[in-house]
Amino acid sequence: MNQFKKVSVLILALLSFAGYGFAQNNFTISGVVKDSLSGETLIGATIKLKGARDHGTTTNAYGYYSLNVPKGEYQLTASYIGFRTLHQTLNLNKNTRLDLSLKADNALAEVVITSERRDHNVSSAQMGLAKLNMAEVENVPVLFGERDIIKTLQLLPGIKSAGEGNSGFYVRGGSIDHNLILLDEAPVYNASHLLGFFSTFNSDAIKDVAVYKGGMPAQYGGRLASVLDIRMNDGNQNDLGVEGGLGLISSRLKVEGPLVKDKSTFIISGRRTYADAFLKLAPDTSIRNNVLYFYDLNAKVNYRLNQNNTLYLSGYFGRDELGLNNTFGFDWGNSTATLRWNHLFNNRLFSNTSLIYSNYNYVIQSFIEQSDFKVKSAIQDLNLKQDFQYSLNQHNLRFGLDVIHHTIKPGRITASEASSVNDDQIQDRAGLEMAIYISDEWKVSDKLNITYGIRGSSFSALGPGDFRTYDQDGNTIATRNYNEGEIVKTYINPEPRISASYQLGKSSSLKASYTRNTQNLHLMSNSTSTSPTDLYVMNSNNIKPEIADQVAIGYFRNFKDDKYEFSAEVYYKGMSNQIEYRSGTDLRGNDNVEADLLYGDGRAYGVELFLKKRFGNLNGWVGYTLSRTERQFNDINGGSWFPSKQDRTHDLSLVGIYKASKRWTFSSTFVYNTGNAVTFPNGKYQLKGKTVFYYSERNADRLPDYHRLDLAATLEAKPGKKLQSSWSFGIYNLYNRQNTYTMDFRDDPDDATRTQAVRTTLFGIIPSVTWNFKF
Amino acid sequence: MKASYSIALIFMKSGAKLLSLLLAGTFLASCEKVVEVDLKDSEPKLVVEAEVSDRDTNHVVRISKTIPFTQTNEFNGISGAQVVLSLPGGQKITFSETEKGVYKSPRFAGVPGTNYVLDVTVEGKVYTASSTMPLAVKLDSLGFRKLSFFGEEVIVPLAYYKDPKDAKNQYLFRMKAKNEEVQESLTEDRFTNGNDVTETLFMDLEEELVEGDSLEVEMRGLDLNVYKYYFAIAQISGEGGPPVAPSNPTSNFNNGALGVFSAHTTSSLKTVVKLK
Repeated sequence: MNQFKKVSVLILALLSFAGYGFAQNNFTISGVVKDSLSGETLIGATIKLKGARDHGTTTNAYGYYSLNVPKGEYQLTASYIGFRTLHQTLNLNKNTRLDLSLKADNALAEVVITSERRDHNVSSAQMGLAKLNMAEVENVPVLFGERDIIKTLQLLPGIKSAGEGNSGFYVRGGSIDHNLILLDEAPVYNASHLLGFFSTFNSDAIKDVAVYKGGMPAQYGGRLASVLDIRMNDGNQNDLGVEGGLGLISSRLKVEGPLVKDKSTFIISGRRTYADAFLKLAPDTSIRNNVLYFYDLNAKVNYRLNQNNTLYLSGYFGRDELGLNNTFGFDWGNSTATLRWNHLFNNRLFSNTSLIYSNYNYVIQSFIEQSDFKVKSAIQDLNLKQDFQYSLNQHNLRFGLDVIHHTIKPGRITASEASSVNDDQIQDRAGLEMAIYISDEWKVSDKLNITYGIRGSSFSALGPGDFRTYDQDGNTIATRNYNEGEIVKTYINPEPRISASYQLGKSSSLKASYTRNTQNLHLMSNSTSTSPTDLYVMNSNNIKPEIADQVAIGYFRNFKDDKYEFSAEVYYKGMSNQIEYRSGTDLRGNDNVEADLLYGDGRAYGVELFLKKRFGNLNGWVGYTLSRTERQFNDINGGSWFPSKQDRTHDLSLVGIYKASKRWTFSSTFVYNTGNAVTFPNGKYQLKGKTVFYYSERNADRLPDYHRLDLAATLEAKPGKKLQSSWSFGIYNLYNRQNTYTMDFRDDPDDATRTQAVRTTLFGIIPSVTWNFKF
Repeated sequence: MKASYSIALIFMKSGAKLLSLLLAGTFLASCEKVVEVDLKDSEPKLVVEAEVSDRDTNHVVRISKTIPFTQTNEFNGISGAQVVLSLPGGQKITFSETEKGVYKSPRFAGVPGTNYVLDVTVEGKVYTASSTMPLAVKLDSLGFRKLSFFGEEVIVPLAYYKDPKDAKNQYLFRMKAKNEEVQESLTEDRFTNGNDVTETLFMDLEEELVEGDSLEVEMRGLDLNVYKYYFAIAQISGEGGPPVAPSNPTSNFNNGALGVFSAHTTSSLKTVVKLK
């Protein structure tokens, strides 16, 4: 902590000198941009100053902007998609605070596009960034009519679904655990419900979604492939509002409003599935006693102390509950809490301090007499973040510090006296992750923008516990015991980040970026899909941080008056210290899992094309990715490179949204991708009288190509009533394509002398209906 | 671990089943279909399945080669191999071929605690494996219990045994009920070390057990490598819930032979299904 103080004082001192040094004639204009109706701050709204030289910025995650520019007369424009652009002339001859309220523009309301300045996608140095507008999420058809931000993201190039109906995703050849998923800055370790079919994010509670596929700004770190930054709503400042919906699977309710006028607002949003409610109707008691549901609860309250200080407290709690007739119980879920303090040191220096807690755990219970037991497993983070944003002429500086204490509790077993099972505990693991970062968004000239920075990250594996060293075959050579807090091993990695854009013409640009990311927590999945019992491990004396270096170049162009947006990005990513485990490894309750880990390399490269129509009654996009993802391990596949499970050569998404009338909106999506790389048997033999298959090459085969067409329609009720309501209808997999979920090989049950291939299809055609209301 | 393992997996299966039951009937039809898949055939690979137990018998080594997937299941035995078992004292026992690919030892009982080395010579190449027979653990008795799954009451067998405290034990249960084929269940003592264990033996039968059915249970004490080998096969075939990416289990034979050499103890009981 002392060190942090020293560093921040030093940086502040430097900055104030710099400020005095060459900004004598500069003044600062700053403030907050809000939605005039709800008072919600707008994230990523564009502020532009036209004067002798043009200046511009976007509002940060708290709606705050700050521009430090030479004195003079300016034309200010503030814009945000779906809102009327605000124009204002101002003579800047002193530091000015200017809070802006933008009016939602109904004429533009159907426009479903990124929440950026019309040409920000072209001019900004940032690449590999995709933003979702919540209106998109509302209109895009989804499985069972459950709106889902992650499933909507999966329709963007470079982001692939981990499987049919699955809310796990792969970004540019990364694994599921290579995604950093942040909900109000808190990491969410298991972002899925019900064995992966639904994501944990209830879109009612969400304001802004941004996903970085590459070119991660220096304030983010800890994962290789992507950052999914999700921000919750703050709550309506002006009126108490109630919103909700009744769907096939779940119901939702949201309440928001002011607590103290102009000072404090709150929001509470909940969702619960009620499939088990139908169970209660079953005639059979043993069915009635089964349990199956999940719920999500998001809550947030904020308090504005004064113009320079605001506090935010937000939390998320979600859980899945499965119970089988008083025989077994299985439940899992995340809880997160974030306390934030926004502070303005002065109008150019914005500070945010966050204290974050995140916990994911699962509990498995058996109630069988004499075999009863309870297993608890958890991963828990305590995190302090200090972030500064400083605007200085053509520079926007961002710097800060990030300290996370991780605890992994792989398993604690308790059982009754009469049980055959012993009380036991797999050793907990602890780690301390620290990072400092600084980056500068520099407008070098009207044509050239550069964002460059560095993140210095360190990870220390901490005692207490026994740490082993192994030989090549995984046999223990030595074991050393460490005391509480003792450092087992420290890894330090500098992570340079740089991206630049060069404006070619009025509305096109070339961009390039290089990013290094490291990852200290690793998910060992014990199945081909995700499971709530997947095991997290952290760096140790054996496990080294995963490292990824990504280079990307891109061409960005808007045409027809920014009505269309086009981008092409090419990327190459090299990955080291990738982790797999030996065949036959039992990850459950294993206190020596490191003995069975294998380390190797990965590489991913591809082209992503994206064309989006952003305005008009008909809008939507086409995304296409041509890519390759491979892994290499000395002990797998004879040491040769093999396609990883994320490898899909072609991946195409089409999204169309059509506003047919004031009341009707239709939408449709079509997806196509090359089948997953899988391993099929290349022979068979008999062992203990049973057929066993022989495999020669890893992932050398392909499942059949995947494709699917979905439709949705939304009918808004007649306007003007107090209670506004709408109906959403959807059809998933319209032409009932039998997509292969798994391909299994087995003896023919009717003829034991033959073997057969069996295709499992998960979802055929599925209609859905949801009723939404708001008052 | 078996307890939690099998429960977790049964649970996962049940969860998925429950889910599909709920979401659907009407519109969700997770369906299975037998399809034609074009599979590449590999060169035939050598497979050795060798067992030595503490029972006084002719122990068997079966040597075969893999066959293409589309071919009728059969034991593709290899003749003319040399099979020699070496004991720690330097004593050697030679197996002789009794039928194509099947090699038998003279009658003897393996001794718990002994490390056995098996050399198999086929087409001029020697494949060696070693396995240590664990100390014997006796299957004390069998029992039965009723459990309920989705409104279906099923009878599950229970195996009672005393796990030794100062050893790491792995077990394989082989159950034969009615006249259906043998079913297997793997377990280890990671969470039951030193206890009087009640093992629930889940079975997947065409028709559930009823009182009066006959049941035969063999309990084997396995070497750790052998346990891991069997576990890998079970994991790949999805017997433990969601299947893992398939690969060949790690054999204790060198030189790339498939299969496994298991020196194990064995203890069997036969009973008639009866609820207390």
